[in-house]
Parts: sequence; structure tokens; C-alpha cells
Amino acid sequence: MTTIRIEKLTRTFDAVRAVDDISLDIAHGELFTLLGPSGCGKTTLLRMIAGFVEVESGSISFGDRRIDNLPAHRRDTGMVFQNYAIFPNHTVAENVAYGLKARKVSAADIKSRVDKALERVRLAGYGPRSPHQLSGGQLQRVAIARALVIEPAVLLFDEPLSNLDAQLRTEMRIEIRQLQQALGLTAIYVTHDQEEALAISDRIAVLRHGKVEQVDTPERIYRMPQTAFVAEFLGSTNMVPGVAKAFDGRNTQVAAAGTEFTVRGEIAAPGAKVLLSLRPEALQLSDGTDGPRVQARLALREFLGPMQRLHATLPDGTRLRVSALGGAAFDALPGAPLVLAYDPAQIIAFPAP
Amino acid sequence: MKRFATIVALVALVLLAVFLLYPLALVLDASIRIDGTGAFTFGNYAAIVKSRYYLGSIGNSLLAAALATGLACAIGIPLAFCLARVDVPGRALLLTLASLPLVLPSFVSAYALVLLFGHAGVVTTALRGIGIPIGSIYGMPGIVIVFTLTLYPYVVMPVLAGFLAVDASMEEAARNLGGSQSYAVRTVLLPIVMPAILAGGLLVFVEALENFGVPAVLAEDRPFLAVDIFKLFAGESDANPAAAGALSVLLIACTALALLVQRHYLGKRRFSTSARSAPAKLSLTPGLRVAAAIMSWGIVIVSLLPFAAVLMVSVLRFRGPVLTWELGLDNYATLLSGSYRPLLNTLTLASVAAVATMLIGAPIGYVVARHRSRLSGLLDFIGMVPFAVSGTILAIGLIVAFNSGPLVLTGGWLILVIAYVVRKLPFAIRSSSAIVHQLDPSLEEASVNLGVSPSQTFATLTVPLMASGLVGGLVLVWITAASELSATVVLYSSRWATTTVVMYHAIEGTGAGLAAAAAAVLILVTAIPLLLINRRVNKQEATVI
Ligand SMILES: Nc1ncnc2c1ncn2[C@@H]1O[C@H](COP(=O)(O)OP(=O)(O)OP(=O)(O)O)[C@@H](O)[C@H]1O
Ligand SMILES: [Mg+2]
Repeated sequence: MTTIRIEKLTRTFDAVRAVDDISLDIAHGELFTLLGPSGCGKTTLLRMIAGFVEVESGSISFGDRRIDNLPAHRRDTGMVFQNYAIFPNHTVAENVAYGLKARKVSAADIKSRVDKALERVRLAGYGPRSPHQLSGGQLQRVAIARALVIEPAVLLFDEPLSNLDAQLRTEMRIEIRQLQQALGLTAIYVTHDQEEALAISDRIAVLRHGKVEQVDTPERIYRMPQTAFVAEFLGSTNMVPGVAKAFDGRNTQVAAAGTEFTVRGEIAAPGAKVLLSLRPEALQLSDGTDGPRVQARLALREFLGPMQRLHATLPDGTRLRVSALGGAAFDALPGAPLVLAYDPAQIIAFPAP
Repeated sequence: MKRFATIVALVALVLLAVFLLYPLALVLDASIRIDGTGAFTFGNYAAIVKSRYYLGSIGNSLLAAALATGLACAIGIPLAFCLARVDVPGRALLLTLASLPLVLPSFVSAYALVLLFGHAGVVTTALRGIGIPIGSIYGMPGIVIVFTLTLYPYVVMPVLAGFLAVDASMEEAARNLGGSQSYAVRTVLLPIVMPAILAGGLLVFVEALENFGVPAVLAEDRPFLAVDIFKLFAGESDANPAAAGALSVLLIACTALALLVQRHYLGKRRFSTSARSAPAKLSLTPGLRVAAAIMSWGIVIVSLLPFAAVLMVSVLRFRGPVLTWELGLDNYATLLSGSYRPLLNTLTLASVAAVATMLIGAPIGYVVARHRSRLSGLLDFIGMVPFAVSGTILAIGLIVAFNSGPLVLTGGWLILVIAYVVRKLPFAIRSSSAIVHQLDPSLEEASVNLGVSPSQTFATLTVPLMASGLVGGLVLVWITAASELSATVVLYSSRWATTTVVMYHAIEGTGAGLAAAAAAVLILVTAIPLLLINRRVNKQEATVI
């Protein structure tokens, strides 16, 4: 059983607060993702847990054992590196056996455990090969097997898939998720790819400038972002500034972009400035039925295969992205008027900064 | 990780403090004391400034070094340009040969000049025979020629790297914007290559200033700093350690200043990796191409010719100091008839020193490359101090320091090994840190992460990964230690005389044949290991310089 508790963790590099007073609780068997833009401190936080970056203040515990003062080689974490970090002077089997040897496991045990681990990552029979005979995806699997085989207290992944091509990336993330669940290991996963994070995580922490913006399940992070930053970072949303009007007991009207939006709930006092997040998929071409709607004009149409992306211009010139299913025959020309319908519950309002 | 780095840094700093800084401090101390009484004085410096002899010595050394630097640039830059941009036939071989003079002993080249153009030289007598008088090569001309021909690779290597680092698109962009080819050379190429030229040139300057062997062979009665320091310290009649100390401090000040400027220029730019596509070879007219080929091969052949001449002369008979045209191995017989001891000493001392240097240098290079901290920065700096200290001065310091007191080393083999290790340490540090820079740090992190301690990771993972590079470094240290003269000649005892010492005394005396044989042995001792690992070393040298 490994739960992870991170308390008030801080690390500064010169003037940069790479990790700024972060506290997190991670449950046993959870796949916990650190998500955020480049430079937000994901890698630094992960490497603090692994013991490669010194803790400035705060603490890290596995279970009830504090580990932040242990040297890196005694922390019992299994890390999968972005660039694989496969030892080029060892065979695949020797790579996987490396951590077991360090733990003085008997030779017979090593052999059976290495074979099993290679089988797990679908590389049975690759043991005697030299790493340079393997493809990128295979190397990544060796790296995973090498980290899994020692049955570490915690698995750590630092953008493990970013060097792979798009298709392999989606395959491998499913494999990683299944292995982690099958073995019941606690894992921390770093990525800046929001789709990857949404797809495999139990919970996600969105980081910004070394601070936690929100910790939640993928669904809640996506549907109920607590800050404008989280809303914007997950799924290129449309952010429209506006001014709140009166609350009618059910919805609040917001004047924005030269028109008016209806938002569920009492989002702000009348006259307060707000930011509205309108997800592209929350807007539809109106089919004439009842409900709130806005008038717009088509500016540009992108055909993306399974769907089309429409760029619509609101009365004051603000641009909105709208996702429309590709199947729906839609052949309007730029300049044509559009009527966009939406569900007031799907618009999220944030206080304007 | 941090503890391992700290331990390496502390051990290295203690070693350097005891065997480098402490001896140097004693030399400095000697320079500000009255000989005998030990009272504080600046009189030694005042004496130098008042003495025409010493001022001449300083002036000669600076002048020779400056002229050699200018000439080395004058031949090194065009050669580097041809190697980078002209399709010279046999380019790969040329590149290998062009780096050879750096590791071949320069005083052997000087001695070759004496054999060919000296008072009783082959060419001199031949020319005199047909009535053409020839000017003396002793003194300034010969010394500058030898420095130029042995040190120009210091210019070629970084400048070549600079020329290759100019991204093709940069030059194309300059020309696309309407510049002519020569305009592009002036505005794009030269500014990029200029720091490399300065860095290489300053290295030539420092090496020439420190060099003991070449003026020892060629100066005759002209005063030269490195030789005077030796004579003032070790001379039988006119010893004056205090003056030797003062001159040493002045020499160190000059070399240290030049090296600081050199580091500044080198630090400003990194040439190695910036170019994505190396610039294309120039399309030249056949005439120009032939001219470029002749010039390139000419420079390299002329610089290697002295060594070939020594090898040839070593198998000819001497009658007294006069060379005959009879073939024979008499010289080698003379060399070995006395004793095998010097040759054996050379091989043993070089081997022990090379292994020790790499054993100490590799961890330092690793820490310097991997762990950026104030301690490792200090280590990096002190590790480079030996560059600024000539072998003679270091040797004098070691004698003063370990001649009495708790640790007596003079007269033994260990003091020679220590001198070699300290002198070659910067090389070992640089070559290992260059290798470490090419190793992905996450490999070591992966090992530590899997439960192997940092020191064990270094021994079992990093060292094997560095191995091929370390072998190259080891061989180069071995070669340069085997042909070391300036410190050896101060430190050796009769039991531990080396081939270089035998050769030095043979030149001083009348053993022309003996000297030629010893010189030939030194050439072979350096050339054979080089040929064995040729390719590796080439790569090494490029990264180290
Ligand atoms: N060793 C270091 N020295 C100085 N600054 C550092 C160091 N490591 C990280 N930083 C700084 O700390 C901040 C966070 O870096 P970190 O590598 O953790 O970001 P990241 O979230 O992993 O970004 P990316 O997605 O680009 O990998 C950055 O501003 C970075 O420049
Ligand atoms: Mg990162």
C-alpha cells in the first residue's frame, strides 16, 4: 500500500519558483497526472519525488514514511524517462535485470522475473537483443518493464510518450494504464498533453507557475474547471469577456461580444465583469427549436475529417470556434449568417481578472 | 549524487593543493625573500628590472612567442579553411597528420633543425661545400620556426571547427541578400571564426612562452626565460633560486593572463553543435584547387619533415660530431650499451603517470561536467592552473616543497610521476568532461533510480560508457608524459633518468649520434601508440582543444 502525501513543497531556481507551496494527497493504486504548460514545474516536482532535485522546504511521504531526506537510490521509485534512458552497453534483459541486481535478488529469480516483465510489455524473446536493435516504441516498453520489474512503491513517468509518433502514443498510453491497474501500483504521470491526461488518469492536478490550479477527476476538470486557466488549458475553449446582468431566479444574463448570453445560476452581482468559457462542442448550429441562441456570421470553415470547425464572428467582431460534426452536410460560404444554440448549463463563468 | 560530487571535489582539491598550489606558493615565496636570510624583499624583482640580461630574456621569450603565434595563425587559418571548404585530395589523412605535431616532442624537431642546418648540419655542410654560405638558425629564427611548425595545430583545430560550424544557410542568406562571396566571407565567416582564431592563437602563445626544450636546444647563448629559470635554479655555477622564483612568477603572470583571455573567447562561443548543415565545398578553378592542395600538404609535410629527418639520421654513422653517409645502427648500440634503464624508465614512468592521471582526472572531469556548484567551478578553475605553469616551474616548486620536511620525495620516481600527473591533469579533465557531456544524464539517473548508489553508478555504468574515450585520453597522456623534458630535467635522479634526459645531455655534450638515436626512440614511442588508436585520438583532440 503506497499513498503519497506531499506537503507544502517548494523549490526555487535562482528567481524562478519552479514548485511553489504544493500539497497533494495521492491514494494507493491511483494514476495521478501532473498536467500543465511548459515550464510550470511538472518535471521539477516529479524529480523531487524521485530524489534528483533537492527539496527546499516541505515534505514528501510514502505511506507514513517520510522520504524527502533519503538519497535517490533508496527511495524505491521506478521512473520511466522521456528519452527512455536504456543503458546502451547492456542487453534488453540486462537492462530489465539492473534494478533487481541492485536489490541482490537471486539469479534464478531475476531470470524468471525479467522474462515475466518482458512478456507483460509484449517483448517476450527480446531479452538477448541489444538496445540499438529496437524501435522507439520497443525501447519505451523496455523502460517500462525495467521500472515495473522492481515492483517499486511508486511509478514515475516524465512525458514517457512524447518521443513517439501519434498513433503509437495512443496505443502505449492504453498499455501503461492497463499495466498500472493490473499491478495495482501508485503512479505519478507527467504530461503537457491534455488529451493524454484526460484519457488515462484517475485524477489530474493542473499546475501553473509552480502552483496547483485544480485537482480533480478528468471529467470534473473538463466540465467544471475552477479557474479560467484550467478551462483554457483543457480543450481550446472560447473565452469571452462580458458584464453580468440581473439574475432571474434560474439564469443570469451576460452582455458580451455585442450580444447577450444566458448562463445557468447566479454567477455574479449585476454589473460585475466576468469571463465566459464556451466550449466549441457546447455550441451547435440551431435546428430552430427553442432555447437560448446567438446570431453570428461564418468567417471560415475547416474540414477536419470526423468534424468541421467553424469560425464564427459575433456582432462585435469576436471570433468563436464551433465544432460541428462532419456528417452534417453544411456548405455555407463565408459571410453567411449562423444561428448558434447552446445549453446555459454548459457555459462557465469566471470572475474577470 | 551530491555527496559523491562533494567527495570527489574535496579529494581532488586536497591533491591539487598539496602538489600544485603549495609548491607554487613556495616559488612565489622564494621570489619575495632575500636568498639566505629569508627577509622580505622586492629586491629580486628590482634586480630583474635593472638587469639587461634578464630583460633581454623576457623580451626574447615574448618576441619568440608572439612571432610564433603570428606565423602559426598565418599558416593555420588558410589550412583550416582549405580543410573545411576545399575538396583537398586525401583530406582525412591530412587531418590526421596535421594534428601529429602537437604530440610529437617539439625539442626533437628543434634538434632536427640542428642536425640539418646547425654548425655541422647536413645541409649546412653540403651548401658550404658548393660555396653557398647559410645564415645561422640558432637563436630567434630557428626557435620561431620550430614553434610555428609544432604549434600551428592549436590554431587549425578550433578554427576548422569554427569554419565547419558556420551554418550553410547563414552564408547563403548573406549571399541571397546580394553580397558577393568575399563579402559573405568578411561579414559572416570571419566574425564567427574570430574567437576560435584568438583562442587557438593564445594557446600557441602560452605554449611557446613556457617551452623549455626548444630554446634549450636552439638558443645557444641567447637568453630565454624558460631556460634561464632552469639554469638559475639548477645551475652549478650561477644558481640564484630567488631570481629563478621572481622570473617564474613573471612567466606565470604572462601565461595566466593569456589563458584567461583565451578562456574568455572560448567561453563566449561554442562552435561544436550549432551548424545543422555544414557549408558546401567551394567550387574553385582547377588551378586554385591545385594551389590549395599544394599549400595544405606542403604545410603538413614541412612540419613533419624534421621528424622524418631525425629517423633517417639515426640510422647513419657519426664520426665524432660529423655525419657520414654510411648506414648503421651504431647510434642505437651506443644508446643501449650504457643501459636499458632510461628507456625502461620512460616506459614505466609514462605508464604509471598515464593511469594515475586518468584515474584522478576522469572523476574530476565527470563532476565538473555534471554537477554545477561553486565547488565544481573552483575545481574546474584550479584543474586548469597547470596549463599556466611551465614544467620547469612546477618541478622547481615540487623540489622546494618535498626536499625536506614530513614528505621527502626528491630523488625518487614518485616525484616525476606527480609532476607528470599534475601537468597532464587538465588534459585528462577536459577530455573526460567532453565525453561526459555527450552522455545522456538520464542514464545515470535511471541507474540511481533503480537502486544503485551514485558512486557505484559512476564505477559500473558511467566509466564503461566513457571507456572508449578514456582510452584515447590515456594514450595521449602516456605519449606526452613519455616525451616530457622540462620537468624531468629538473627532477630526475641518475637512477631515474629517462630517454629525454639522455637526449638532452647528449645534445649538450658531443653525443650527436646518441642524441639522434634517443630522439628517434622518442618519435617511435609516441608514433606507435598513436597509429594504433589513430581514429579515436583524432576525435579526442578535436574535442579537447
Ligand atoms: N536545474 C534548473 N536550474 C534552473 N532552473 C530550472 C532548473 N530546472 C528547472 N528550472 C526552471 O524551473 C521551471 C520549471 O521547470 P520544469 O522543468 O519543472 O518544467 P516542466 O513543467 O517540466 O516543463 P516542460 O513541459 O517544458 O518539461 C522552469 O522555469 C525552468 O526554467
Ligand atoms: Mg518537463
